Amino acid sequence: MNEKIGVYVCECGPNIPDRIDIDKVLAEVSVIDGVKTAKKFGLLCSPDGKNFLEEDIKKEELTHAVIAACSPRDHEQTFMTVAVKAGLNPYLTQLVNIREQCAWIYSDKQEATRMAIKSIRAGISRVKHHLSLTKKELEMNPDVLVIGGGVAGVEACLSLAGTGRRIYLVEKAEELGGTVSKLGALIPHQGTAVDLFGEKIDRVRAQDDIEVITGHDVTSARGFLGNFEIEIEPQGDSSEIRNLQVGAVVIATGFGLLSSEHLDTNNGEKNPNIVSALEFESMLAQNAVVGKDGKPPRSVALIHCVGRAELGYCSKVCCLYMIKYAHHLKSMDASTKVTSFYTDLCLPDKSDQAYYDEAVKQGIRFLRSDAPSIQSAEGQVTVEYSTGGGKSASEKFDLVVLAPAMVPGEDTARLADMFNLPLDDTGFFKEIHMMLDPVATPIEGVFVTGCAMGPRNIPETITQSQAAAGKILGSLIPGRKLEPEVKVSEVRADFCTGCQTCLTVCFYAAISFDESRGISVVNEAICRGCGSCVGSCPSGAIRAKHFTYPQIYREVLEILS
Amino acid sequence: MKNPNVLVIGSGVAGMEASLLLAEAGREVHLIEKDSLIGGQTIKFEEVYPNMECATCMVAPRQQEILQKDTIRLHLLSEIKEVKGSAGDFTVTVKKRARYVNLVNCIGCGACYEPCPVSLPNLFEESLGEIKAVGVACPGALPNVPFIDPEHCLRFNGKKKDCQACQDACMFDAIDYTEQDQTLELKVGAILVATGFDMYDLNQLPQYGYGKIPNVLSAMEFERLFAANGPTQGEIKMKDGGTPNSIGIVHCAGRNECGYCSAVCCMYSTKFGYFLKHKFHDADVRSFHTDLCVPGKANQKFIQGAIDSGIRFIRFADISIEGKNGKSAIHCTRDDGGKETFEADMVILSPAMIPRKDTATLAEILGIHRDKLGFLASRAENLSPVETEKEGIFVTGCAEGPKDIPESIAQAQAAAGRILALLDESRSAVQNDQG
Repeated sequence: MNEKIGVYVCECGPNIPDRIDIDKVLAEVSVIDGVKTAKKFGLLCSPDGKNFLEEDIKKEELTHAVIAACSPRDHEQTFMTVAVKAGLNPYLTQLVNIREQCAWIYSDKQEATRMAIKSIRAGISRVKHHLSLTKKELEMNPDVLVIGGGVAGVEACLSLAGTGRRIYLVEKAEELGGTVSKLGALIPHQGTAVDLFGEKIDRVRAQDDIEVITGHDVTSARGFLGNFEIEIEPQGDSSEIRNLQVGAVVIATGFGLLSSEHLDTNNGEKNPNIVSALEFESMLAQNAVVGKDGKPPRSVALIHCVGRAELGYCSKVCCLYMIKYAHHLKSMDASTKVTSFYTDLCLPDKSDQAYYDEAVKQGIRFLRSDAPSIQSAEGQVTVEYSTGGGKSASEKFDLVVLAPAMVPGEDTARLADMFNLPLDDTGFFKEIHMMLDPVATPIEGVFVTGCAMGPRNIPETITQSQAAAGKILGSLIPGRKLEPEVKVSEVRADFCTGCQTCLTVCFYAAISFDESRGISVVNEAICRGCGSCVGSCPSGAIRAKHFTYPQIYREVLEILS
Repeated sequence: MKNPNVLVIGSGVAGMEASLLLAEAGREVHLIEKDSLIGGQTIKFEEVYPNMECATCMVAPRQQEILQKDTIRLHLLSEIKEVKGSAGDFTVTVKKRARYVNLVNCIGCGACYEPCPVSLPNLFEESLGEIKAVGVACPGALPNVPFIDPEHCLRFNGKKKDCQACQDACMFDAIDYTEQDQTLELKVGAILVATGFDMYDLNQLPQYGYGKIPNVLSAMEFERLFAANGPTQGEIKMKDGGTPNSIGIVHCAGRNECGYCSAVCCMYSTKFGYFLKHKFHDADVRSFHTDLCVPGKANQKFIQGAIDSGIRFIRFADISIEGKNGKSAIHCTRDDGGKETFEADMVILSPAMIPRKDTATLAEILGIHRDKLGFLASRAENLSPVETEKEGIFVTGCAEGPKDIPESIAQAQAAAGRILALLDESRSAVQNDQG
């Protein structure tokens, strides 16, 4: 053994010496095989302490350093930086927490001292097995692929434009615009979709650094942050494959609407006096709100929450757009009877309640009813609804508008499979962290914005697209290199039996199967070192760098000895 | 030349997120926080819906990163006083109060608290606990460095000018009575406002008996009772030290008065219910609500789970609370017209989120508008949800209106993105014209 290990015990002012006999600790650990020097210092994290540590590592020509001080959460990074300055690979150090885990928890000084000695012995045993690890750098392509040309995709493109990168906007329809372009007036200020959104579409088209590719599908995706290889092809024509190289991907493929047949009891024969919200939007846009008989309806039922109970979630936007319809109907003819059937009114934005209050003032009737049913016969539509306490009532209406639940868009599952993205239990894409990172996915560099991630309104969708752009602008900077995690997993080819269990547990899709060699392979640019594969491998073929079995066993053995 | 640096006001989840993202992109960020610690309201929450994650643990790594990033200049105990200039070239005057504790020397050992002769109600703990005139708001506060409150410290308020108990106790030479308030002048290209919200003053709602009937708590008070690092270490105790067997949770306190729904109360109120049911299996927990506002893909299941766990949800049309033999009688007229009274050991009121009381001043300094409700106005109606009327000034999170944590974070990322694009030197003149 030719290690030269230095052990440094920090006093942390009185925090450690009050409870631990540091001289006794030094005496015991300095005689351990491989330890060249063992010293104490008043406050190692202070500028003086860091200087002392740096100089001493150099002077003693150490190969490893063990620092016994506070929690790694406080100062592991501090001391790793000192190691680098002293010319020592930072992964050849070990921080042993004798403050929180010894000094602060034992009232008996002898006991605390004994535990501190054990902990440091464990650190010394561990550090002997540490490997020198080196950061790698990879080139990153700053270009971005945006999938979906609705309000979310268009906003993502505009937020990225002019920042020194090429942006590809791939839309499967022939026109940009998505669902929003089918809407009449927007809520609550009644500007039209065309006015507000059309101008943005024009800007996307005019922008030199944005290439708009309509009528195309994304058919294949490989790679990782900074280095994605994408294939696209014209709809229904796989002979014209085009390759795109991008550094990041924004999925903005929107939503679908629950089919409303299940409320139309007319066995597939559609009653023209029952329309879905989107059909009503187009009636509004064409200024043709009329029933089957060509006359404007005298009474209209607005049925919220269609499919909500079955799907188990609230689609958030329906209450407000139904109120919008009510306002429209009243402004066309104030004598029209408008009744809104809802379960719970969802008015989460600060201006929503006032919009509702105004509707109530205009005489729109709001009725709470859990599951109104619709009977349709010979053009007549009857709504049967509960009135509480087990009682029910029924009423005839000239026109019924249904607000169906928002559901995942038709391409969601296919894209999820292509990009290795998880879906949540509702079938929408799943955030990497619902609270803290609402537009990011487990695949670094792939973002999901707007209703592809779940129901949301237009301002939120725009916010999310700007957020994804923000995350891209913050990380994918032209000229900057990618520095992947160092403490990653690696598969030892000799031991791998090719069972592929590891592929099923990897949250980040960092492992692929090499068919020709019959083994699993970890992509170090994607692996984040979580260790799930290590634990799952039945043949012990995978090791996590910096958490290898010898490192952990040696450490644990000393603690238990 | 445009100045690429950014001023962020407020260090809650939104302000931290924006600062980290901007710093990651290589910008220098001045993060202004009026308190002595960072993290905003979120660090007060033991758990957050819908996954019941520990918020303190969730946010702590970000707080650490803020403290460690060289390019984030954190100005604690600071407030902006004046803003001059325009997008790309703002000059901001900041008043920074003295902390009297050296951030570099202090290691957070806490030796100075004990000898301090002054105890006062800890506002961070909604006054449920006490703090010394030198202290940190709660265990785990970051930076873990105390602050001397000059209003209450005997040395500074003149009651005992020679008191130096804390300085004598400090072994690191960290207490510095000579520190002075400072005025800073900062040059930045953009300003991001993330100042958060206040809660409606329940004293304005006499029908709930808040402040009069014992064990009628505000949601924030309950958050701190329920927090492991709170004044009771997470023990739910009543004023007499006992544990509650019946708890009423009342949503929408102040909703009518404010004229809007606060979007998050239904969910966090239900979180309280879950927590209480988990802690006291046999407790009778009833949630009194109006319309349940549970938007989005995950929230309704959370409510359903609460119903399945035995929490009763009651939709009220009218509600009032009366003190009765030390208990609270919740008199409720249901929306179906029926009446019921629930005698509860403890009541939790979920108040409306309202604009911070300094919003008007802030708007005036920044030269931006407030909306009719008093929140800072964005250009959401023009499909620019994080931009304000004034170019280069952005508003995110609850300063703009009630929202949940993910939405606040998305807004922060969005505003950071807008700023990175706005102040990008390579961006052509064409885009800069396009608001």
